[in-house]
Amino acid sequence: MQALLLQKPRALVSIAAVLVLAGGACSGHATTTPAGAVVRISEHDFQISARPWQVPAGTVRLVVSNLGPDTHELIVVRATDGPLPMRSDGLTVNEEALKPVTVGSLDGGAPGGVRDLVLHLRPGRYVVFCNMFGHYMGGMHADLVVH
Amino acid sequence: MPGRRSTFAPFAGRSRRTIVAILVTFALCWGLSVVLSISATQGSQHRAAVVEVAARQRTLAERYVNEILLVRAGEPADPAATATVLVRSADALLNGGTAPEVQGDDDATALPAASGSVIRRQLMQEKRLAVDLTAAGSALLAHTSPAAVPMTANEHINVTDPVERLRVLAGLTSNVSLNAARTIATADDANISNLIITQSLLGIGGLSTSLLLALGLIAATRRQTAHFRSLVDSSTDLVLVFGTDGCRYASQSVTRMLGHPDTALLGAGFADVVHPDDRELVRTAATRAEPREIVFGIRNHLGEWRQLEAHLTDLRSDRHIRGIVLNARDVSERVRLEEQLVRQAYHDDLTQLANRVLFRDRLDHALARSERTDAPLAVLLVDLDGFKQVNDSLGHDAGDQLLRRVAERFAEATRPSDTLARFGGDEFGLLVEDADPAHAEAVAGRLLESLSQPLMVSDREFAIGASIGVVHHAGGPGNSDETIRNADIAMYAAKEAGRNRFAVFGEDMARRAIDLRQLEQELRLGLRRGEFSMHYQPEIDLASDAIVGVEALLRWHSPTRGQISPAEFIPVAEATGAIFELGEFVLREACAQTAQWHAAGMLADGFVTWTNLSGRQLSAGGVGALVTRVLGDTGLPAGLLGLEVTETAIVQDGSAGERARAELHDLHESGVRIAIDDFGTGFSSLGQLRHFPVDVIKVDRCFVQGAEHNAKDAAITANVVSLAHALGLLAIAEGIESETQLESVRSVGCDRAQGYLFARPLPAAEATALLAEPRRGDSQAA
Repeated sequence: MQALLLQKPRALVSIAAVLVLAGGACSGHATTTPAGAVVRISEHDFQISARPWQVPAGTVRLVVSNLGPDTHELIVVRATDGPLPMRSDGLTVNEEALKPVTVGSLDGGAPGGVRDLVLHLRPGRYVVFCNMFGHYMGGMHADLVVH
Repeated sequence: MPGRRSTFAPFAGRSRRTIVAILVTFALCWGLSVVLSISATQGSQHRAAVVEVAARQRTLAERYVNEILLVRAGEPADPAATATVLVRSADALLNGGTAPEVQGDDDATALPAASGSVIRRQLMQEKRLAVDLTAAGSALLAHTSPAAVPMTANEHINVTDPVERLRVLAGLTSNVSLNAARTIATADDANISNLIITQSLLGIGGLSTSLLLALGLIAATRRQTAHFRSLVDSSTDLVLVFGTDGCRYASQSVTRMLGHPDTALLGAGFADVVHPDDRELVRTAATRAEPREIVFGIRNHLGEWRQLEAHLTDLRSDRHIRGIVLNARDVSERVRLEEQLVRQAYHDDLTQLANRVLFRDRLDHALARSERTDAPLAVLLVDLDGFKQVNDSLGHDAGDQLLRRVAERFAEATRPSDTLARFGGDEFGLLVEDADPAHAEAVAGRLLESLSQPLMVSDREFAIGASIGVVHHAGGPGNSDETIRNADIAMYAAKEAGRNRFAVFGEDMARRAIDLRQLEQELRLGLRRGEFSMHYQPEIDLASDAIVGVEALLRWHSPTRGQISPAEFIPVAEATGAIFELGEFVLREACAQTAQWHAAGMLADGFVTWTNLSGRQLSAGGVGALVTRVLGDTGLPAGLLGLEVTETAIVQDGSAGERARAELHDLHESGVRIAIDDFGTGFSSLGQLRHFPVDVIKVDRCFVQGAEHNAKDAAITANVVSLAHALGLLAIAEGIESETQLESVRSVGCDRAQGYLFARPLPAAEATALLAEPRRGDSQAA
């Protein structure tokens, strides 16, 4: 509950961001703010969507909404060639192996929560995913392209 | 008030309400806390079961995959049973019900339906995953393509290997179950935190409320205490509380009432300011609360004694007081007035001596004591001689001063234990207890002696004497009325015996007194019954032998006593006041008779009917008016009436004497003749006689009768006659009984004479007959 209360002001900010981004989406271009680009990431059992999925390089603010029902985390890694390396259980991504390319992460958050993650991204392809047990394999990953 | 003490407690209801409010607050907080605790505990128990079942789902999902693989490998296993448990448990977690038992593991568990949208959505997702998992497992065993199995939980599994796909589903199921268990546990933690916060708030709220109420109560109690203290302190009454250690509390009014600081009376200090005579009374009252009402003396800061009236209340059993409460007020003025009233009722204002009432009371007590103890006592009744003259001549102020001087002298001559009283006027009484006859007479002597030196009043010296009657009571029963009456009789005896002396009461006096009283009654009765009559004794002109007058003489013939001498009854009439009636009777009879004679032409020229005036009549005043009235009533010319007055009566000092002389003077002016009776026996000065309106001097019979044999009496008679002639008066000789006496008085030039030689006093009829005789050549008529 405490976490929820703390995040409420941010929820308002994110609603504002959604409105701004909605305008941006219509033009088909990434919208930038003085603080940089804003990407709305929705997590939903068992999918992740990033809008827009292309942003200019620099400061990028990820507004991460967990729409549930399950708990979800978010990890951002610079994409390598081929699929992400898996642990021996075959169900979770090997985060240790991806450490050099990991640019940011959010721990597991309760459903209904909205969190920000501000990153400085260089141009390239990035993968955002939830690495809760089985979630990646269940379909919770998406691409983010930085120009 | 017995049985139930009424209390004045303006704040009591408020105090009770506050205490009740505090208790109710505590009870509410406590009850709410208990309910919350019970509810939280029950919730925790349920959630523990839910968490346990939710956590078990993870294990069941993994077991199910393993059993599918075992069956696929031809090993014995029952994945269908596990699937049933998995799905039914998921359903029970979501909708409530019994989670089935797991073989060799947990028992069946009853679960409540999940509450809260987040947890319900998670559990729904878990249920969907469990269904998807078991469906995928069944498809695998049935060698059906897993892709043909519909996914209900929005999974997007991008794996074609059916086993791998099954393991991903199991992982998701396991993960969602675990997260659901966590959410439930987290909610439980939050509930416990909320409970702790709620309990803390309840505790703080309850405590604060109670504290506020308690503070209010304390403030109200303080106000109440201050209120009562103000009431007590502002009261004009003094409030004292006594404990076993003396005075424990004194209200501030003590400062207003007595000027002492309120601490001065505490402890043993109180006894120091109480009047020594009252200390025992106050000490007893303050330790026993008896008597309930006391009056005692207390010293104020100026050293004056004030009288306090106190009411005592025993509050020793009252745990708030534990003492005896004394409410006192200053009644000094009332006590002083009461004492003054008592003093006025029992004392003589003028002399500050006891009055008749107090004397009577003391005498009653002394006689009662005498009856018990046979103790003797004496009563002295004192009447001042000559006081009346002082009062008449110098006025009442001087008289009052004289009485005060006399009272002082008497007080000096008596013992403090004797009761000296003033009865009124110039009459004093003295009660001497334990007095034998000798002592009583000695006291009487001392009283007389005390007046032997002149008294100074208004810068003048006065010699005054006293007549004292002494009654001695030998002891035994007695009567105060009788004792005082006897003293009165003895006092009159002393006066009769010549004044300025004392007389001791004896039985003979009593008898005489009784006789006199009886005689007085008979006298008054006789006057009404007509037992009195007038006799007339002729008076002869010695030159012509003619009857030139009569002396009217009163005679009393009592049917019981016979003929009574005027010498016997006149003093009684004078003493009792009957003389006034008798005097008027004499005057009226004599005038009426003379008027008859005059009308009948029986009287010679210059004829005078002489009547006797008593000294008492003269000094009382009113003789002039009486004579004038009687003369008018009877029509008698004033010149035919003569009044005989005694020498002492006309030379009297003071205003009464002056008034008498003035009245006689006026009568003389109107023609009434005046004679000095019994001339030579008194002490009248010649100077007074010269200015007095007198026509005739009567020479007393004692000289006339003595002149026969006694040269001195003869000389006196001769001198009186020559004096009368020198003053231009006639001289009449009384009591001529023989020729020798007649010759004797004739030889010294006496003008007229009366006596048995010529005629005895005659009844009216005989006198009329005598006067009717045409010529009175024979003087031997009698």
